Amino acid sequence: MTATLGARPAPGRGRARARHRLTVLGFMAPAIIGFVLFFGYPLIATVVFSFTKYDLINAPEFNGLDNYTYMFKDPLLIKAITNTLWFVVVLTIARTVFALGVASVIARLKSGVGLIRTLCYLPSLAPPVAATLVFFMVLRPNGGPVDNLLGVFGIDSPLWFSDPAWAKPGITAIMLWISGDLMIIILAAILDVPQEQYEAAELDGAGPIRRWWHVTLPTISPVLLFGIVNSVILALQLFTQAVVAGSAGSGAADATGSTKYLGFPDNSTLTFPVYLYTQGFRYFDMGYAAAMATVLFIISFAVTIVLVQRMRKNSTAEEGGPGA
Amino acid sequence: MRKHTRAALLCVAAGMATALTLTACAAGKGGGASSDAAAAPGKDDKLTLTVWSNYSDREYEEVTKALKTFNKKFPNIEIKHEGSQDDDKITAGIRSGNTPDVALSFTTDNIGQFCSSGAFQPLKPYLDRDKVDLNQISPAVREYTEYKGNRCAMPMLTDVYAMYYNTGMFGEAGISAPPKTLDELFEAAKKLTKKAPNGDILVAGYLPTMGFYANRPTILAPSFGAEWEKDGKSSLASSPGFTEMMTFQKKLVDFYGFDALERFRAGLGQEYSADHAFHQGKIAIMMDGEYRTAFLKAQAPQIKFGTAPFPTWKPADYGTAFTTGTIMGIPKGAKNPGAAWELIKHLSFDTDTIVDLSNAIKNVPSTKAAMESPKLEVDEQFKTFIDLAKSDKLKGNPVTPIGDAHIKAVTDFAVSYTSGKVPDLAAGLKEVDKNIDDQIAKSGK
Amino acid sequence: MTATLAKPPVDVTADPEQPPRKRDIGGFLNWVATHAIGLALGLMFATPVVFVFLTAVMSDDQAFTADLWPREWHWENFVEVFDKAPLFQYLINSLTYSLLATAGMLISSIPAAYALAKLQWRGRNLAFLLVIGAMMLPPQVVAVPLYDTWSSLGLTGTLWPLIVPYFLFDAFSIFLLRQFMLTIPQSYVDAARVDGCSEFQALVRIIVPMAKPGIAATALFCFLFTWNDYFGPLLYTGEVKDQWTLSLALATFKGMHIVQWNSSMAVTFLTMIPAVVLFVFAQKSFVKGITFTGVKG
Repeated sequence: MTATLGARPAPGRGRARARHRLTVLGFMAPAIIGFVLFFGYPLIATVVFSFTKYDLINAPEFNGLDNYTYMFKDPLLIKAITNTLWFVVVLTIARTVFALGVASVIARLKSGVGLIRTLCYLPSLAPPVAATLVFFMVLRPNGGPVDNLLGVFGIDSPLWFSDPAWAKPGITAIMLWISGDLMIIILAAILDVPQEQYEAAELDGAGPIRRWWHVTLPTISPVLLFGIVNSVILALQLFTQAVVAGSAGSGAADATGSTKYLGFPDNSTLTFPVYLYTQGFRYFDMGYAAAMATVLFIISFAVTIVLVQRMRKNSTAEEGGPGA
Repeated sequence: MRKHTRAALLCVAAGMATALTLTACAAGKGGGASSDAAAAPGKDDKLTLTVWSNYSDREYEEVTKALKTFNKKFPNIEIKHEGSQDDDKITAGIRSGNTPDVALSFTTDNIGQFCSSGAFQPLKPYLDRDKVDLNQISPAVREYTEYKGNRCAMPMLTDVYAMYYNTGMFGEAGISAPPKTLDELFEAAKKLTKKAPNGDILVAGYLPTMGFYANRPTILAPSFGAEWEKDGKSSLASSPGFTEMMTFQKKLVDFYGFDALERFRAGLGQEYSADHAFHQGKIAIMMDGEYRTAFLKAQAPQIKFGTAPFPTWKPADYGTAFTTGTIMGIPKGAKNPGAAWELIKHLSFDTDTIVDLSNAIKNVPSTKAAMESPKLEVDEQFKTFIDLAKSDKLKGNPVTPIGDAHIKAVTDFAVSYTSGKVPDLAAGLKEVDKNIDDQIAKSGK
Repeated sequence: MTATLAKPPVDVTADPEQPPRKRDIGGFLNWVATHAIGLALGLMFATPVVFVFLTAVMSDDQAFTADLWPREWHWENFVEVFDKAPLFQYLINSLTYSLLATAGMLISSIPAAYALAKLQWRGRNLAFLLVIGAMMLPPQVVAVPLYDTWSSLGLTGTLWPLIVPYFLFDAFSIFLLRQFMLTIPQSYVDAARVDGCSEFQALVRIIVPMAKPGIAATALFCFLFTWNDYFGPLLYTGEVKDQWTLSLALATFKGMHIVQWNSSMAVTFLTMIPAVVLFVFAQKSFVKGITFTGVKG
C-alpha cells in the first residue's frame, strides 16, 4: 500500500519505483504504440519512399535523388508552392487580424454578447465541404446574393472561383467565415486582461483606442502569437476548401478524370497538399509524393518549433518551473 | 441440403483454382509481357463479375442491359454493374485492391499508364489463345487501346467528334451552310453571338474555353492538324497546328472578352446534364461526340440541330475527326480474369450486342461488321459520325505513360494564354513541351 | 500558466446587462456604435446559412435564377434528397466513423493525458513535445506509407484505417485532456493516493469525474472533427461509394447526382445540423474547450 504513496517516489525505494514506472507505461502504452505505428514508422518510411519510384503495383525501385531533382523542373510544384505561400502570408494575416477585430468588438458589447458570439462561432463547426459549397452558392457570379448586392451599387461581381485572381481570396473568405475558434480564444484572452490595468490607463487619460493598443494588445500578445502559428499551420495544410472550390468552380462535374480539374481555375487553387495528393493518390507516383511530404514535414516541423519555443517560454515564465 | 453443401464446396474449389491462376499471373507479370491466360469459365459456372463504368442514368441502364446479354452464353454468371466510377476511382481501386473484374474507362487518356504500369493485365495471351482477328477493328481504334505493342484493353463502341450547330439560330442569322474553315467558323460565331446591352453574353456563337465541355486539346487537335509528338518528343512548339489552335482560340476569346466569357460560362449547366448549354440554346455551335445526338433527342427535343465535320485549318484536312471511346480492361487483382475476358470478348465482337447498344446510347460501333449491320439505326445527324468513322482521316488519342498529365498541361496553358497572360506563344509552348518530356522521363516508361 | 488555470477563466458566457448612464452622451453613442457593429458582424456570419436555407426550399426552376426569396416553399426538398442519393447509407457511415473514433479516443487518450498531467516521470516533457509535434503534422506527410500499409492489409476501401488509430493515439485529444487535467489541483490526486487509491483508481474516481466538462469537450471536438473530415474518407474510401461519409458525398454531390442548387443546398444544410445541435446542447463545453486549446501552454 505504501508504494502508491506520493507521485514522486523517494530514492532508494526500488520496488515502488519500478511499480510507478509500470503504471506510467500502462497508461501510456496505447499512445506509445499508436505514435510509433502512425507517426514514427510512416515518417521514416516517407523519407525512404522519397528515394524510390513506387506506383503501388510494382515493387518500389530505388532511384536516388531523382524525385528531388525533378522538383526543380516541375512547373506545377512551383505553382503549388507559390499558392501555399500566398495562403501562409495572406491567410495568416487576414485570419489573425479578423479574429482579433471581431473579438475586440464582442468584448466591448454590453448586451447580446451570447447571441452574437454564438453566431460568429457556429460556422467554424460546419463541415469544411459544406462551408465551401455555402460560399460557392453565395458568391456565384450569376445571380448569387453577393452578386445581387453588388449589382445594387452597379458593380460587377468578381468571378470568384472561376477567376484565377479571385479564387484564393474566395477561399480566404471561407476561412474567415470559419475562424470562430480563434475568435473565441482571443476573446477569452481579452476578457482575461485584469481590469486594474485598464483603470490605471484610464487614470492616465488614455481613450478606448489607446487603451486597446497599449493595454489589451500587449497583454494578449502570446495568444496572438498562437493565432499566427495556428493560422500558418492551417495554411500549410489547406486541402479540403481548395479541392472542393476547384471542382465546384470548374463546373466540370462530368466526373471523368476529375484530376484534370484539381487546382481550377488555372491551378490557382492547387496548394501544396493538393498537389501532393494528386501525385500520390491520383497518378500514384508515391515516390514523388513522399519527397514532397518530406519537404512539407521539414517546413511544418520548423513552424512547430516556433510554437513549442513560445510555449516553453510561457510556461517557465508563468509556471515558475514546477514539474521540471 | 446435401446438394447445397456440395455446390458450396465446388465454389470454394473453383475460387481456390482462380486464386492460384491469379497468383501465377501476378508472379509472371513483372515486365508485363508474358503471362498465362486464365481459363474460361465453364458454361454453367456460378460466379459474380463486377463491372465498373462511368455511365450514369439513362446510359447506365442501357449498358447494364448490354452486359446482361452475356448471360445468353453464361447463364449463371451474375453481373454487378457499378456506374459513375471514373478513371481516378479505377486507378485507386486497382492500387488499393478493391478491383472490379472488368473496368470500363470513359477516356482513353490513361491507356498508356494502365498498360505500362500493369494496372490492366496484358490481353495478348487471351488474343493468341482464342485466335482473335484484330483487323475487325479500325486502325485508329486499335491504336488507342494499346501502348507500345502491349494490348491491355479492348474497345467497347467508339466516340467520334464533330460539329453540332443549332439550325434555328443559323436560320435567324442567315447562315445557310455549316462553316468548313476556321475563318468561316469565326464569322459564324460572331454573327450568332447575342449580347445584352450591359455586355453580358446571352448566346455564344461558339464557346472557345479550353477544357470546357468537349473543348479539349486532344479532340481539337485533328482539325488543326496538330501533332503531339515527333521522334518520341513532345512537339507542341514545332507543330504549326498547335500554334494555330492557340491563336484561333485567343482570337475568339478576345472577341467575347475573357471576363465576359467566364461570367457566361460560370452560369452554364454541366456536360452530361439536361442543362447543357446547347440543350438550352445558349450556344449555337460546338464540338461534341456522337452520343450528344441521343442526349439532345431525349432531353431537349425542342432544339433543332445539324451535324457536320468540324471546320479545319487546312481545307485538305476537312473530314478529319478525333476518335476515342470506352475501353475495357481486366485490372490487376481481378477475381475472375478468365470470365472477365469472355465478357470483354463478347462486348467487343458480338455484332448484335454492339448494334443494340449503339442504337441505345448512340455510340459508333467499334467493329466493321457492326458498322455495316442493317440493324444499325442511322439518322441524318448520326450519319455524319458513321461517315467520319469509316473514313481514313480518323485520328486517335496520343498515348503516353503519364496518364492525362500532358493534356492537363496543354489545357492549362491554353487557358492562361487565352486570358492574355502569356506574352510569347512559341516560348510558352516550348516550356510545355519540356514539361511533358520531363514527366515522361520521370515515369521511366 | 497552470497557476492561472486553477481559477476558472473569466466566464465569457456571462451576459451582463449594463445600460449606459444617461449623463454620458458620448458613452451612449459609443454604445450604439459598438452594438451596431456587433449586430452587423453577427448578421454577416449568419446570412450565408440563411441563403443556403432559402435556396434549399426553392423549386427546381427557381433555384437556377437570381431570386433570393422562395416563391413557394418546397419543404419536401429535404426529404427528396434522400431518394436522389443514398444519404442514409452515408449517414450511417459518418456515424460509424465518428462514434467509434470518439469511443476509441476516450479509451486511449484519458490515461495518456493523466500520465502527462498528473504523474511524474522521466521523458514526460519529451513525450508531450512529441504529442504537440504529431498534432501539428499535416496529415498528408504520413499518408503515403500509411496508405501503403493499409492497402497491403486489404483494408483500404473501408473506414477502418480512419477509426483504428483513435483506439491508440490521438494527439489533439491527449493535448486537450492534459490541459484540462492540469487545472485539477494536485492535492486531490495526492489525497486519493493517501487514501490508498492506486493511480488507476485515482484516475477513475477523482480525475474523470472532475474533468467531465473537459472530457465532454474533447469528445465533442473529436466527433465533429471526424464528422467533418474530408481528406481521410477521400483517401481511403474514394472509389468505394457505399463506404462514403456524408462530408465526402457532399463534395461530389453537386456534380454526381444533382444539378439544381436547391438539392445540393438542402444536403449542405442537413450536414450542418449535427454541429448546431451539439453546440446548443453543450455550448459551455465548446467554448471552454476551444479556449484551452489556445491560451494555455
